[in-house]
Amino acid sequence: MMWEQIRSNRIRSLVLVAGMGAFLVLLGLLLGYVIAGSGIAGLVIALVIFGVMNLIAYTQGDSILLNVAGARKIKREDHPRLWNVVEEMQIASQLPKMPDIYIIDDPSLNAFATGRDINHASVAITSGLLQKLNRDELQGVIAHEMGHVKNRDVVLMAWCSVLLGTIVILSYYGSRFMMFGGMSGGSRRNSRDNNNGGGAAALIMILAFVLMILAPIFAQLIYFAVSRKREYLADASSALYTRNPEGLASALDKLAASTTPVKNANQATAPMYIVNPFRAKNLNDLTSTHPPIQERIRILRAMAGNASYTAYNEAFSQIKGKKGGIINPQTASLVGAVPVVRPAGADSGPIEPVSDKVERTREVSDMMLKLDNYEMIDCDCGARLKVPPALQGQTVRCPRCGRTHQT
Amino acid sequence: MICPVCRHPMIIVEYKKTELDYCPNCHGVWFDKGELELLLESAGAGTSKVMGEITKSPSIVNMERKRKCPICGKKMKKTRVGEKENVLLDVCEQGDGLWFDGGEVDQLVKIIEDKSHQNKEHYHVFNFMKEVFQAPAR
Repeated sequence: MMWEQIRSNRIRSLVLVAGMGAFLVLLGLLLGYVIAGSGIAGLVIALVIFGVMNLIAYTQGDSILLNVAGARKIKREDHPRLWNVVEEMQIASQLPKMPDIYIIDDPSLNAFATGRDINHASVAITSGLLQKLNRDELQGVIAHEMGHVKNRDVVLMAWCSVLLGTIVILSYYGSRFMMFGGMSGGSRRNSRDNNNGGGAAALIMILAFVLMILAPIFAQLIYFAVSRKREYLADASSALYTRNPEGLASALDKLAASTTPVKNANQATAPMYIVNPFRAKNLNDLTSTHPPIQERIRILRAMAGNASYTAYNEAFSQIKGKKGGIINPQTASLVGAVPVVRPAGADSGPIEPVSDKVERTREVSDMMLKLDNYEMIDCDCGARLKVPPALQGQTVRCPRCGRTHQT
Repeated sequence: MICPVCRHPMIIVEYKKTELDYCPNCHGVWFDKGELELLLESAGAGTSKVMGEITKSPSIVNMERKRKCPICGKKMKKTRVGEKENVLLDVCEQGDGLWFDGGEVDQLVKIIEDKSHQNKEHYHVFNFMKEVFQAPAR
């Protein structure tokens, strides 16, 4: 049943990706014709660039992305609570393999998933978000990211971003080549076979110019459109896996309240985050990578005691005032009714010993400091000194009681 | 973190679950926005208002060098806070946090003896710093 769901969504998204692919082919043909006099040569170059970029993306894409985002891999003992939530959601989503878990040392609130397929996936979360969320909310966010992995969004978005990147590179270098080197080449060719007619050549030249300007813009808009659609689906998956739409809704509430932008995000990586990492304003236009947060929250809260895809569809059409919903109704109905389970006292359960915000903050910041090899010294006066590697081996004086400590 | 005044690596002092960055060389103290919020929340005072109020307070001109915010790298504003406006500090205009020079911390500890403004938010901040920095600087 999940397969049906994934496939029907895939087809919709694939049409959009095919549109981007068509842009790439057209751009290659035209550039080749104008610069080298052979459309096929241009197409070959375009496809070779695309192939090389894909190869890099396939083999190293996720590590490049995680590096750019400044993410660091953690082990179970670094943050048992987070590890535990990911483990639970791996079981709920029936993913074959546990994804790698990464932390981004950033006070802003965000999370994303990446990977080349469902067996090689990673979820990343900012330290700020990890501090702010209680267990239910964290579960909702992780389930949303697992939804992206399970629905093959990570693969699709990787493809899309490579396509977009290739189009941008071709347009950038093509336009420079035409302006500085290509013009003379073009005139030489025209004199060589002037029976071709200068008019047609000029027309193609103009077309190439227009395409070079428009292709990156259109490709980007398609990329954003794909990404917006995937967000709703991942929200629906999150509700289903956690059986608790309120968890994600409440997490999104906290995310909406924060306006700190993510330090290491850019336009290309923006669609990967759970909410738009820039969020200057919550604009609902063609250039936004995410649906408005408030709308996503309203849909989740309108699910009324049921966590199934059908319930999400109904809530979606109710809030958006559109018929049909976001998920294919036939495939959604295969999941059946899934009653909401509000985990009673999950916050004080044995898995999460302290839910207090202060405790959570210290837990996360101490984890980040330990990853940075800070040395922790508990002074008898009650203060705790955290010494960076640069000062280790020296004596440190406690500013509270004046005791000196050897590090 | 590197001290914005003397470029010495800073240590972190945690007390009552709140962290301060402290320069063991020049005794300057960085009070981060996130930690300020934590402190005020656990003290039952308003959450993030204190940063807003202090960033809005008028900047003063004096001979002291401008410090750069250790978080965002932008130049910080000098301002006076406290009941008698007698505490001089540097504040990041982006709201990243507060900087107290080494001497300012000692000054602060003396001033806070006056308990007449206990209900003010900055009282919690100064009182906490007084609790942490009890050992006189050498």
